[in-house]
Formats: sequence, C-alpha cells, structure tokens
Amino acid sequence: MIKRISIISIILLAVLLLTMILGVSVGSSDREILRVVNAILHPESDPMLSAIVLKIRFPRVLLAVIAGSVLSLGGVVFQSILRNPLAEPYILGISGGAAIGAILGIIMGLSRFPGVGFTAFAGSILSLVLILYLSTGHSLFQKDRLLLSGVMVNAFCSAVIMFLVSITRDARLHNIIFWLMGDFSTINTLQASILLLAIIPCFILIFMLSHTLNLLSMGKESAQSSGVRTRLIILVQLVTTSFMVSLVVGYCGLLGFVGLVVPHLMRTRLGPDHRVLVPACILGGGAYMVFCDILARTLPEQGEMPTGVVTALIGAPLFIYFLKRSNS
Amino acid sequence: MTLMLGSIVFSSVKPISAEKMVVDPTGRSVQVPDHPKRIIALAANITEIVFALGQQHRLVGATRYSNYPAGALRLPKVGSYIRLDLERILALRPDLCIGVKDGNPIVIVRRIMELGIPFYAVDPLNINAVVETVQAIGDLLNAGENTSTLVNQMQNRINRIRKLVARSKSRPRVFLQLGISPMVSAGPNTLAGELITLAGGTNVVTGSARYPVFSKEQVLSLAPDVYIITSMAREKVFEDIKQEWLQWQQMPAVRNRRIYLVNSDLTDRASPRLLEGLECLTAAIHPELLDMKQLNCQ
Repeated sequence: MIKRISIISIILLAVLLLTMILGVSVGSSDREILRVVNAILHPESDPMLSAIVLKIRFPRVLLAVIAGSVLSLGGVVFQSILRNPLAEPYILGISGGAAIGAILGIIMGLSRFPGVGFTAFAGSILSLVLILYLSTGHSLFQKDRLLLSGVMVNAFCSAVIMFLVSITRDARLHNIIFWLMGDFSTINTLQASILLLAIIPCFILIFMLSHTLNLLSMGKESAQSSGVRTRLIILVQLVTTSFMVSLVVGYCGLLGFVGLVVPHLMRTRLGPDHRVLVPACILGGGAYMVFCDILARTLPEQGEMPTGVVTALIGAPLFIYFLKRSNS
Repeated sequence: MTLMLGSIVFSSVKPISAEKMVVDPTGRSVQVPDHPKRIIALAANITEIVFALGQQHRLVGATRYSNYPAGALRLPKVGSYIRLDLERILALRPDLCIGVKDGNPIVIVRRIMELGIPFYAVDPLNINAVVETVQAIGDLLNAGENTSTLVNQMQNRINRIRKLVARSKSRPRVFLQLGISPMVSAGPNTLAGELITLAGGTNVVTGSARYPVFSKEQVLSLAPDVYIITSMAREKVFEDIKQEWLQWQQMPAVRNRRIYLVNSDLTDRASPRLLEGLECLTAAIHPELLDMKQLNCQ
C-alpha cells in the first residue's frame, strides 16, 4: 500500500513540478521556457526576466497550486463524508459563505491575510452550519436533500453578495469586483509561504484521517461498527476543510468546480481508496489549477480572463454530465 | 538562496538616479526620481493629463482604455485600470507609476510598491481637485511652464462657464444618465453631479447614493426638463433610445426635444477634457448661452 501511495505521489509530483515550470515560463512579457530556465539559473544574465519569474510568476503559480490542492481535497472530503460524488465546497455553498465573509472583510478594509481569511472562515462555518441544519431531521447522508440545501445556500449567498455589491461605496467596490474576478497575482512569496504553512497541517491531518474517509464513504453504520467516532471525525474533517477553503477563497475569490473535476479524474484512474486519493488530489489539484491559470493567461488575445471562468467552463459541463449519468 | 538571488535581482533592477520625497494628493509620502523618465499611467485620465502637460515622452505604458489622444493608443498596455497586469508593468521597467486612489485595487498597488516601483496616487473627486491634480502631476514631472499654462487655461474655462451661467436665472431640472443600460445616474456628491450644478442645472437626483440605478418610471416621475445621456455609443444607438422616449410626451425633456448625447469620456474622466464636458453640459442645459453644434460633444 505504502509503495503504491509513494509511486503515485512521485508521478503526480513530477507532473505538478512540470506544470509549475510551464507556469513560471508563460507570462505576458515573455514565453520562452529556455530563456526562463536560463534566467533562473543565471539571474545576472537577464535581471529583469529573473525578477519577473521569481517575484511575480513564482508566487502566482504557488498560490494556484495551493488553491487547486485545497479545493480538490475539499471536494474529496465532502464527497466521501456526504457520500455524494457531486458534493464540492463551491456547489455546497461553503465557498459562497466564505465569499460573503471575505467581502465583508474587504468592506471593513482588512488585509487579505489574516483579516479577510478570518472573516471568510467565519462565513464558511455559518454556511456549513446552515447546510447541516437544513439537511438534518432526515439524514446527513441523504444525497439529494443535502445537495439541494447546498444549492439554496449558494443562491442565498449570491443574493447577499449582490446586495453587498449594490450598497458599497464605489471606492471599495473596485476592490470587491477585482476580488470577485479572482486573481492569483495579489500575493508575494512570503505571504504564499505563510499560507502554505497554515495549510500543510490541514493536509497532514486529513491524510492521517484518510482511512476513516474510506469507512465513512461506505456508510455511517459501517464506520461506527469499525469503531470510528463518526460525529467527531466528520466535524473535524468538515471544519478543517472549511478552514482551508476559506483561506483560499479569501485570497483568490471564487473558483468553482475544481473539487469536482480533480477528485473524479483521480477516482476513475486510481480507485476509491482515500489513502491514495488524498495525496493524489493535493498534487493533481495543484497541477490542474496551474494549468487552468495558464489557459486564463494565454487564451485571450489581450489581457487575461479570470481563472474562475476557466475552471467553471471545464467544470460545469462535467457536473451536468455526472448528474445525467448518475441518474440513468 | 532564492532570497539572495531575489535581492541581487532586486537591486539591479532598481534605477540608480537622484530621488526626492514628495507628498501625493492623497497625503502619502512617496520617494520618486527627480526626473521620472519611465512612467506608467494606471488610469486613462492620468494618461490624458500627462499628454496635456506635453510630457508624453516619459510614458512607457498605459491602461487598456487609454484612447486619447491618438498617441496614447500606441503605448504598451498594462491591463485595465482595475485588472492590472503586474508582470507587464515590471517588464516595462517603470521608475514611477501614477494611479488613482479607489480606482486601482489596493492589493495590486501594494504589490507594485513591494517590487520597488514608486506609486504616486491622485484622487480627483471634484473639479477643483482635477485642476490640483494637473498641477501636482505637472510639478512631479517638472513640466514647468506647461503646467502653469494648462492650469490657467483650465481655471479660465471654469470661470468662463461660471460667468456665463450666472447670466441665466433659470436652473432647469436635469437627469444625467451614465451609459445606455442600466439607467445609472449620478448623485450630488460626484464629479458628474458637480458638473450639472456648474453647468447651471438642477440635478433631479438627490440623496446620498453616489451612483443610483433608476427605472423608466422613476425617471418619468422626476420629470426632468433636460435629459442627457453620456455614452460612448454611436449616434444610431442614441437615436433608438430617443425614439423610445418620444412616446412619453408627459416628460418635459421629451416634449421640448431636450434629449442630448454627450461623449462619456468628456464627463467621466478627471482630465483637462472634463472642461469640454462641462461646456457640453452647459450647452445642453442652456442652449441660449452656448451652442452645442460649435463644440465637439459626441
């Protein structure tokens, strides 16, 4: 087992590193991979390009990796706990709650980290509580009910966001709109490193609990009969996931469907074992987001489009496809 | 290692030249070069101001919608003013960025400053502040006589309108629509709201909201005497809207054929061209004082 995890992780790590190299090689000023590699190895040969690569592209790619990993992992966790392949932080409204918190933080003029991250976390927890409340009374695991609650919470969150946008004085409005469009270039290497330090313990925690995810995805009863303290484990997983997702949303805005695409891809290739899926989604999700960000930067002839547009353009049709297939 | 490389790179990118400390119109102290040579204007009105001061040779970049004067179209573009392309900004090796407070997103502005590029912010929220902004940028760029000439010209044009308007006792009720759709107007505490008053009109929009959205019904009940649409739209689009309004003969502006189109760049941008906008609004509100046909308002 450990051997399988290691092999898959190493392969995906290689893929991640390759996309990261591609990511730092592509930009609005220069797209020559060899020149970029040369600029990294010999900064004195082209100080401008190496400054661009190290100070602008690298933190941006790093943030994309973090965002992709967190959102994909969030997808895996929600899907197994809720036993629903369509569950995902964005679809369930967790991201939406975080977005409301983040916008309130921006309106209050807080810094992105920890200020906006904290208000986003508060928002996501409220969303989570609301979703769980809406779906209790019946069962936490009832698929359609939970999904429907999520959709409703999401619709409500969108309305609140529009309301906040409409009442905001135009000065702060620019910052909100900019944030809503989603952008990876707002972070420097130090901030990205701090973010990474805050998130790595969450990754480790979730990885350590990955065998319980296996049991949970088979059903609450079977998990309980195996001696798993289901309620506590579920709570820890959900809160940890919401925390990571909030930090990412606070920085990058809403990036939808990432937690749907990557886990699905990994599950069909690697099987349902979460001890493999968790590291695979962390590494694969990072690579996927960097890839989407490259598309967002290179597809438009002039300027860039928000990365959230790319993730949704790929993810939403896939969601519909899954939905259709799971019904038939 | 990365940090060390970074600092080497950092110091080699930073231009070596004499610098001075200035306070920008928003009250921030900024270390700027004595003679900035590579400027990026982070909003279209700043590009216009730099051109109007005759300092365009110092510009190395501008934002996407910097479309005036013609020379601005040839400048390399660094994204739109709200979605700035950080990489392109750095690649142009600017020694100064001039931006607008509350326009350029603060998170990107912080990144620009982190990269060692001086960021000078302006905040022209009313017409006097526009004149002061021109003065400030002129001083910043050592534009000398050009600055005083331009500032005097602007002052004179404002004074001329004030005198003209003082001749008329009437203050027609004006609805100013920003853009074609939705029907957004400007409250009293905005630059556009100030222009209406200066041009001798009464803004039918009151209240504290800066840019409220209106429905047709609300506009009809406000019964404006003059209806002005500021837009970049072509004549054809404007004619269609005019036709649509013609069925509402109850509205004084429709009854008296007082619907006008003014190029939004003249009224939106806090640049010297704002005075053309002021003159166009005056001509629309008080045709007896100024003839719109002699102005280039569309």
